[in-house]
Amino acid sequence: MPDVIECRGLTKRYGSTVAVDRLDLIVTAGQVFGFLGRNGAGKTTTMRMLLGLIQPTAGQAWLNGRQIPDPGGLASVGAMIEEPAFYPWMTGRRNLEVLALSGPPLAGGRDQITAVLDRVGLSEVAGAAVKTYSQGMRQRLGLAGALLRDPTVLLLDEPSNGMDPAGIKEFRTLLRSVAAGGATVFLSSHLLAEVEQVCDEIAVLDGGRLVEQGRVADLTTARTRVRVILNPGDQPAARLLLGRWPVQAAGTDELLVETASGREVNEALGRGGVWAHQVLLERPGLEETFLQLTGTTAGEVRHAAAAR
Amino acid sequence: MRLLRAELSKLNRPLIWGVAGAAAVFCVLLAIGGSANATSDARGRAGPLPSCAELNVPAGPACVRTRAAEQRRVNEINAGPAQVAAQLNPVAAGAEAAGLMASLPGALALALLAGAHIGGEWSGRTMKNLLTQHGRRWQVLAAKLISLWLAGVALVAACWVTLAVAGPVISHLDHLPDPHESARSALTLAGSQVARSLLVLAVFAAIGLLAAVVTRNTIGTMATTAAAFVAMLVAASLPGVASWTPATWVQGWMGFPAGLASVTALPTNFWSRFINAAGAPPSHLAGLAGLAALLLAATAVAAGVFRRTDVSG
Repeated sequence: MPDVIECRGLTKRYGSTVAVDRLDLIVTAGQVFGFLGRNGAGKTTTMRMLLGLIQPTAGQAWLNGRQIPDPGGLASVGAMIEEPAFYPWMTGRRNLEVLALSGPPLAGGRDQITAVLDRVGLSEVAGAAVKTYSQGMRQRLGLAGALLRDPTVLLLDEPSNGMDPAGIKEFRTLLRSVAAGGATVFLSSHLLAEVEQVCDEIAVLDGGRLVEQGRVADLTTARTRVRVILNPGDQPAARLLLGRWPVQAAGTDELLVETASGREVNEALGRGGVWAHQVLLERPGLEETFLQLTGTTAGEVRHAAAAR
Repeated sequence: MRLLRAELSKLNRPLIWGVAGAAAVFCVLLAIGGSANATSDARGRAGPLPSCAELNVPAGPACVRTRAAEQRRVNEINAGPAQVAAQLNPVAAGAEAAGLMASLPGALALALLAGAHIGGEWSGRTMKNLLTQHGRRWQVLAAKLISLWLAGVALVAACWVTLAVAGPVISHLDHLPDPHESARSALTLAGSQVARSLLVLAVFAAIGLLAAVVTRNTIGTMATTAAAFVAMLVAASLPGVASWTPATWVQGWMGFPAGLASVTALPTNFWSRFINAAGAPPSHLAGLAGLAALLLAATAVAAGVFRRTDVSG
């Protein structure tokens, strides 16, 4: 698969503040790629640099094989950065027509606008002024704007903000269909459960730096562990028997063993004559993995998602 | 051209129609007031020329000179209604419209439009949409400048059309005399002034554009642009530089009468009255050169700033 996004040492500084710090990132074609990080981690700044809205302080980036900034390359890129913005006095359809006029001609002309409005479920309100739209409807219109040119790369920054659960589900289906059509979706979101369901691969930014990148399943599997519940008096012996793995105590009667095999743990304990009450395999979700990678608390993650 | 069409589409908004309507109303009210002024002044000055005794001047050469001056003044007052009637001729009204829009009223209207049309792209956070569709920033800027300039031209047209319709009605109601002006001379005057106003409006638009890329918001653009126009007029009153300021270039290029000569029953502009009449205004050619240089400089600086500006809103 070719690389559709590549960053090499991409850096953005604002005075003494480093928003993005020597970011090296590769995104291959045809996948839904999640771009995660806490507020202020540098996600939006990275996306804006990729789109030529912000000039990098250092480093290079390529979008669809073209080094940015390259205005000519934007024709094959759809984007929705932060909260979508429109001309409130115009209708939804008129906004898309103006957007279409601002770039190269649409292959399908006005029919393409009708089709994309239908695709995001806004056909019925397309004739209403945008100032009357709810936030969810504006999100959908923003998505329609991003999909307007049948892009090969779609950059979406918090696209499901303000959508109701049904809308989020539709949105998830839509993203999968876009990726199935061969396009690459580069998605930033605080809704980690959503990201886990829809993304093939993720990258995690923290303090402007890339702290992890990989397939969602690989990242969570790598953090699978075994929880052993046993008599408090057996804990010292159990620690010795499980010495080949990193082991942490979680209270007086629990141990956390950094391995993905409960069977091996059970065998090791049994061979030494220690019988556990329970041996539980714990596979962390994306949220827990994210928390481990960024040092964020679960409350902070939920607060950030709710605030969005 | 597609980008320009997009920008022109954005101008189809309530604010623009409101400003155009306000410009039209302003022009009509000014015409009504000008016509009434000329008529009442002429009536007030009716009667024979005062004698030397009435003028408190001893008979002799001094009295002759004083009476001749008074005669000229009376003649001017008596010619006022005919002059206003000539200004309100449907064709010649183009010169009136151009003079008004190429002076302070037009400048302030363009400051308002620059704020909404250009600065508003930042305040409304729509600049990112525009640049992700069309990344060539200089083209975006050019489309903005041209569309704003066309909005200024539309204001001239709105004022002209309104005066062309209302002028004859006002003349008739106020019983203004026939100015005996040929259609050819009216057309020449209107054509010349409207053509000259195009450059002035382009300069006003370029100043608005520069203010927008520097302040990057609606209110900042409006305030900075308006302040720039006021500063131009203030600078024109500074001793030593008065003849070489943008305000006097506008005056010279448009051929606005200097100082109080511009304060007539129906003013042809709202510009010269704010400029110190001491010192001759620059010629048409000097005005043209100054305004052309200002247009290029403002546009180039705006392009340079915009090219380097991060769009983070």
